[in-house]
Amino acid sequence: MTTSTKNPASNKAPVRTVLAGVPASPGFAMGRVFPVINRNISVVEETLPESRLADEEQLFLKAIHKTVKEVSQIKEISESRTGMKDSLIFATHLMILQDPVLINGILDKVRKEHKNARWAVHVVLGSYIDQFEKVDSPAMRDKAADLRDVYNRLMAAMEDSGPVLEDEAREDGVILVGHELLPSLLMSIKPGQVAALAMDTGGRTSHVAILARSLQIPLVSGLRNFAAMVKPGDTVIVDGSSGQVVINPNQDDVNEFHARQEVFERQRRELFTMRQLEPMTRDGKYITLHANIELPSESEKVTDFGATGIGLYRSEFLFLRKDAPTQDEQRDAYRYILETMFPCPVTIRTLDAGGDKLVNGITAVNESNPFMGWRSIRVCLDREDIFCTQLKALLLANTKGNLRLLLPMISGMTELRRARACIEKSRKELEAEGHKVAKVKMGVMIEVPAAVMIVDKLAKEVDFFSIGTNDLIQFTLAVDRTNELITDMFQPHHPAVLSMIYQTVQAAHREGIPVAVCGEMSADPMSVLLLVGLGVDELSMTPWSVMSTKKIIRSINFEDVRDSALTVLQMDDAESVNSYMHGKYAQTIRDLGISSFVGQVDNSKKIKN
Amino acid sequence: MIEKTLVVTNKLGIHARPAGMIVDITGQAKSDISIVFEGSKANAKSILNVMMLAIPAGSEVKFEIDGEDEESVASQLESLFNDHFNEEPC
Repeated sequence: MTTSTKNPASNKAPVRTVLAGVPASPGFAMGRVFPVINRNISVVEETLPESRLADEEQLFLKAIHKTVKEVSQIKEISESRTGMKDSLIFATHLMILQDPVLINGILDKVRKEHKNARWAVHVVLGSYIDQFEKVDSPAMRDKAADLRDVYNRLMAAMEDSGPVLEDEAREDGVILVGHELLPSLLMSIKPGQVAALAMDTGGRTSHVAILARSLQIPLVSGLRNFAAMVKPGDTVIVDGSSGQVVINPNQDDVNEFHARQEVFERQRRELFTMRQLEPMTRDGKYITLHANIELPSESEKVTDFGATGIGLYRSEFLFLRKDAPTQDEQRDAYRYILETMFPCPVTIRTLDAGGDKLVNGITAVNESNPFMGWRSIRVCLDREDIFCTQLKALLLANTKGNLRLLLPMISGMTELRRARACIEKSRKELEAEGHKVAKVKMGVMIEVPAAVMIVDKLAKEVDFFSIGTNDLIQFTLAVDRTNELITDMFQPHHPAVLSMIYQTVQAAHREGIPVAVCGEMSADPMSVLLLVGLGVDELSMTPWSVMSTKKIIRSINFEDVRDSALTVLQMDDAESVNSYMHGKYAQTIRDLGISSFVGQVDNSKKIKN
Repeated sequence: MIEKTLVVTNKLGIHARPAGMIVDITGQAKSDISIVFEGSKANAKSILNVMMLAIPAGSEVKFEIDGEDEESVASQLESLFNDHFNEEPC
């Protein structure tokens, strides 16, 4: 604020600052900062004089009004995003916000007991939350989570928290800035409203990063204290391809921004010309390229990017609405994807809740070690009601037979067999009701080291493997991928990880089943070379990485990358692997002209300089 | 005043969705409406209070409806219950 008076030429110019973060979703944008504040709620009891009661009442009623508006917007957008009508959860939120007993209860606390509005909400809504939590029924306890959400929204609305995102929509795309941006916030963004995202925490593999890439919004994460450095309305340039963020850019920065944006657009146009070509190495090895999607509506665009199927649809996004979707809602969403993609295969992963993907009402427990906790298939096998509902929806949606059903987090044969029993049970129940059920292929995620150790047995009982590299790396190296202190230890090219992948491929090919890699690793150029070299059959990634990956694959010889992969398997550490691969292939990849789409190679160049 | 006793015939009982459907009717009515289940009486215009009764499948509930549109409210509620709230019946 009190800066740069020394420079008479621009004594009002704000300070230019350049920061380096993690390139989490590619693309460039320049725009005004719109801060998202994560509030800590602390409520103090006050007894007010008569004269202030009217204001306090107004404060509460305005908060109700603002929250109703906010929830209605989220409801509308979430419905258009997910393609599902009547999103029940938000309808319930709205009814709670208009509940006469609740509202009068809170107003009475203000009028009769002269309490401040926030305290009144805290006491009245809080007692409902307590009562719902005490009811001996999981469905009712789930409702407590809804009430807490309403509580948080009301509390935030009663603080003077600045304009809501919706009111900014008239402006050109804003840059959303926060210490931590949440997936639910991204889901509520209108197209065009946000030009880019920048946040203090997180890396490339966080759920927000995955979602940003699928929404094609540039994101730089891991900026440490960026959110505290900017004011609303500051201009920033966000480069999601290299991870650079410039606060209050000067004319040179703006010129460079336009130049880089132009390169980005040109490369994008060039890549689009690739989409009809086969993803085949120069010596004729065909690599299947599939797309990962988060939202059913994305399936319309997948083939435009040159993907020949969907390698991973993460079904948990249907569940992010804080209330399990019904069987019919799920069936419609799945059927939409399957029919849009037919005859291409579609891999749908069953609910993978837990870890960093908290689905309210299903995984609301506080665990000290959530990544190794009650999550994923474990939740499903304990909550057969939820699991079988999803399985039935999947089986009903599979009218054309192009579904590949993927079970996450499998760590032993018993889990696999129990899950298979659920599938069989669901199939029989549907057939008993007179439904015709098409055959379905079933595969497992290889993401727990235990699964690799028993991979021979698994290979005999499933139709395909899909390696989830994020979790496999995290568990193999014992590195929490959300822990900012050890991000450098999250090494996809660690020989231990590569060896896990190689063993999986060997076992699968002995049984004649294919191996896919659907983690973020499959979009990084050096990793692509290694994965192809290790014998992986299918790579699945965000749709727009498909084109650049195809370009990489078409430029290499399978025999050559196979030799390289077998060579690095014998190396001591990830650093040796990276320096070998970089020395051998960096120039080739740079020459492909895909730099805007793959930050990684540019990055290592930068570190060297 | 009308007293109307109805049986919950959907498989899942009165969870959030059916509660919302009840409040859709009662909330717009001019009459005062209470819902009585196992001796607990609640304001039937409050989704929170209706949900809190946690009424399971197969239960009998009584509505007490008092006001100018009581007849119409009673018949709307009756058809809602008869349709099992458009859910799977038990």
